[in-house]
Amino acid sequence: MHEFSMAIEVINLAQREAGKNSASVIQEITIEVGDLSGVEADAFETALEMLVKGSILESAAISIIRTSGKGRCNSCNIEFEMNHRMATCPKCQCFPSEISGGEEFRVVSLMVD
Amino acid sequence: MCDTCGCGDSNGIKIHDRQPISDHPHSHDHDHDHAHPHTHSHSHDSVLFTHSHDRGAKKVISLNVDILSDNNRLAQINRKSFEANHVLCLNLVSSPGSGKTSLLEKTIKALIRSRKIFVIEGDQQTLLDADRIEKSGAPAIQINTGSGCHLDARMVDSAFKKLDVKPGSILFIENVGNLVCPALFDLGEFKRVVVISVTEGEDKPLKYPYMFQTSHLCLINKSDLLPYVDFNTDKTIEYARSLNPNLEFIIVSAKTGEGMDLWYEWLARQK
Repeated sequence: MHEFSMAIEVINLAQREAGKNSASVIQEITIEVGDLSGVEADAFETALEMLVKGSILESAAISIIRTSGKGRCNSCNIEFEMNHRMATCPKCQCFPSEISGGEEFRVVSLMVD
Repeated sequence: MCDTCGCGDSNGIKIHDRQPISDHPHSHDHDHDHAHPHTHSHSHDSVLFTHSHDRGAKKVISLNVDILSDNNRLAQINRKSFEANHVLCLNLVSSPGSGKTSLLEKTIKALIRSRKIFVIEGDQQTLLDADRIEKSGAPAIQINTGSGCHLDARMVDSAFKKLDVKPGSILFIENVGNLVCPALFDLGEFKRVVVISVTEGEDKPLKYPYMFQTSHLCLINKSDLLPYVDFNTDKTIEYARSLNPNLEFIIVSAKTGEGMDLWYEWLARQK
């Protein structure tokens, strides 16, 4: 349930950035959640929707971009899609040498008035 | 970062200054020190487009800010502070009931004459663990996370300042018993130690991969119970190593002391 903590971080971050830009209303917030970030995108969105009341994000549209996981297998020299942490190289069935995508969890942008 | 996992009570964190449970009124030292500096240089802040001719116009502020960046920044400050003070900080993580506290009690009793040890205890409620640690001879401070499910770097910073940790010490952080959330929160530790007990099932690394991927050492505890449970140690090690080839393992029993020497040797090797 760390998604609740994360949602509060996002609200604080949005508040700070709006302040810096002298914006009183945020119309839209875009957040990228990677499939391998350790954050459940649905749970996070629910948490954010619950917590925005009374905050600067209260009337903001929440736009979540989900990024799929990618792994690199150095033995086979290929990059492959990872739907979950346990996904293995489709060629050699080994765990990836490195995770090359899907660990993102960031606020991409705010649309302000 | 705050403690609101699971509910909206954001004021539930308590850092207890080694005050035992007592009848007399005592002020909980709610050190909610929010005077933390926000010195982010969001250098890539940029306005993608603005309708500047229109009063009240919309503009898009491009941020690309990692949501955990605040915690990560504070963790880095903690790490530097530990290094500057020659403090070996270890973050102990596990599911509830793996025997972290018993393991620490045994460790403190064995090493306290040769090395200073301090403990930060994380639990949702009660001072029970800090009391146990203090009885075994090490100063401890209890963080009650309230409804929260993990410790974060800010809580550790506050607790560290209160503990007055001496140079050359080991600082153990006993995280909240939870194999999910603490994996994402860097506390500034030198190394992360995941504890699993033989009563839990050998597939735990596969079920909770993040924790095993981010740890440096795995202590397999309660080895004295191996004859009574269907726990395949080799399989556990194989599963965990498939996720994290660099993970080290030590099989111990905090109850009988089996394997504890290897753990003490491992601690002595950490510089």
